[in-house]
Amino acid sequence: MQISPQVLFTIADFPVTNTVLVTLIVDIIIVLLIVAVNKMMSLRPGRLQNAAESVMNYFYSSTKDIAGDRVSFIYPWVLSFFIFILIANLIEFIPGFESIRFFPHNAAAAGEEHGVPLFRAAASDLNFTLALAVISVVMSHYYSIKYTGIKSYIGRFVSLKMFGLFLLVGMIELMSEFVKFISFSFRLFGNIFAGDIALGVTKYFFVMSAFEMFVGFIQAFVFAMLTMAFTTVLTEKSH
Amino acid sequence: MEIFKIFGLEKSLLFFQIVNFLIVAFILKKFLYNPLMKMLDERKNKIDKGLKDAEDARISLENAAQERQKILSAAKADADALAASSKVSLEETKEKLTAEAKNRSQQIIDEAKQKADAEFESMNKRIGEMSVEIAGKVVSQTLAGLFTDDEKLKITARALDRIKKGGYEKSAN
Repeated sequence: MQISPQVLFTIADFPVTNTVLVTLIVDIIIVLLIVAVNKMMSLRPGRLQNAAESVMNYFYSSTKDIAGDRVSFIYPWVLSFFIFILIANLIEFIPGFESIRFFPHNAAAAGEEHGVPLFRAAASDLNFTLALAVISVVMSHYYSIKYTGIKSYIGRFVSLKMFGLFLLVGMIELMSEFVKFISFSFRLFGNIFAGDIALGVTKYFFVMSAFEMFVGFIQAFVFAMLTMAFTTVLTEKSH
Repeated sequence: MEIFKIFGLEKSLLFFQIVNFLIVAFILKKFLYNPLMKMLDERKNKIDKGLKDAEDARISLENAAQERQKILSAAKADADALAASSKVSLEETKEKLTAEAKNRSQQIIDEAKQKADAEFESMNKRIGEMSVEIAGKVVSQTLAGLFTDDEKLKITARALDRIKKGGYEKSAN
């Protein structure tokens, strides 16, 4: 299994990879979920609405516990990351998911006689995880400027307090912000990609599947919670 | 860079994923979180209102129960008082009636006694008169041949006088 996603075909120079395809399927599932919940929405909730409400309530209240009154703009992002990554991670456990092969027109030339998998877990593509990491980090910085002011935001990284000692602290702080791109993206990518390989090696041994499902859930949760924590820290006024 | 190629990083794919997620997040917020939040708030308000209404109903029910108890105890007190007073008046009536009956019977007895006394008196008188008359007649019959008219008159007068003086008992014997 190669690290980079396989290109199925190209549309106007845009390479449609198997992970892009799965990302689109995840989008469709989310839209269907929204439609279903909206259709069944009532004051007396049904099962689906109850589930959606309890998930939302959990993220809302845990964000509120940590972020306080900033919950209103933080929790939608946190919850969106969770739902999006969770569905993207769990979709690969649909039986036969990676077994369907696709034959690109240059498959034979590229040494892919058996074709390439039509679907592949979206998070096993670094483009996917890096995109989420970029959104998470940029979003937290955007809100940091918006809610603490540009002066306070810059002061976080450039400060002459304690005879210039804080200049060093600011630099470390700044570096850690860049490291977030890598930590966010590679954590998710590494877990899911490794899981894919582990499943391939163990020939879809069911205990492994259950474990990987758990990993998929945990990674979605971790990504969401870290986003929440970082955004909360960056939007804190007194620092 | 070589590493980007190994991981399959590509500007267009990265851009696609970023835009894709932003759209998904926007849709989720607008069409899932907001309506659900609204629904939750609405339900919360409804439940609060329901609880408040239930509390109000409970309080008014309690008040009603208290009122009922009050009315009941008042009614019981009234009934007790009424029963007591009626007992007293009954007793009084009984006593009064008894006394009246006693009085009346006494009166009747007295009257009867008086009547009997009067009757007895008049009877006595009559008997006396009758016996005088009879004695007069007998004496006049007996003495008709023995005495002269003058003596007769004297004797009769004397006898009459004696009878009158001695009473009817003596002469009757």
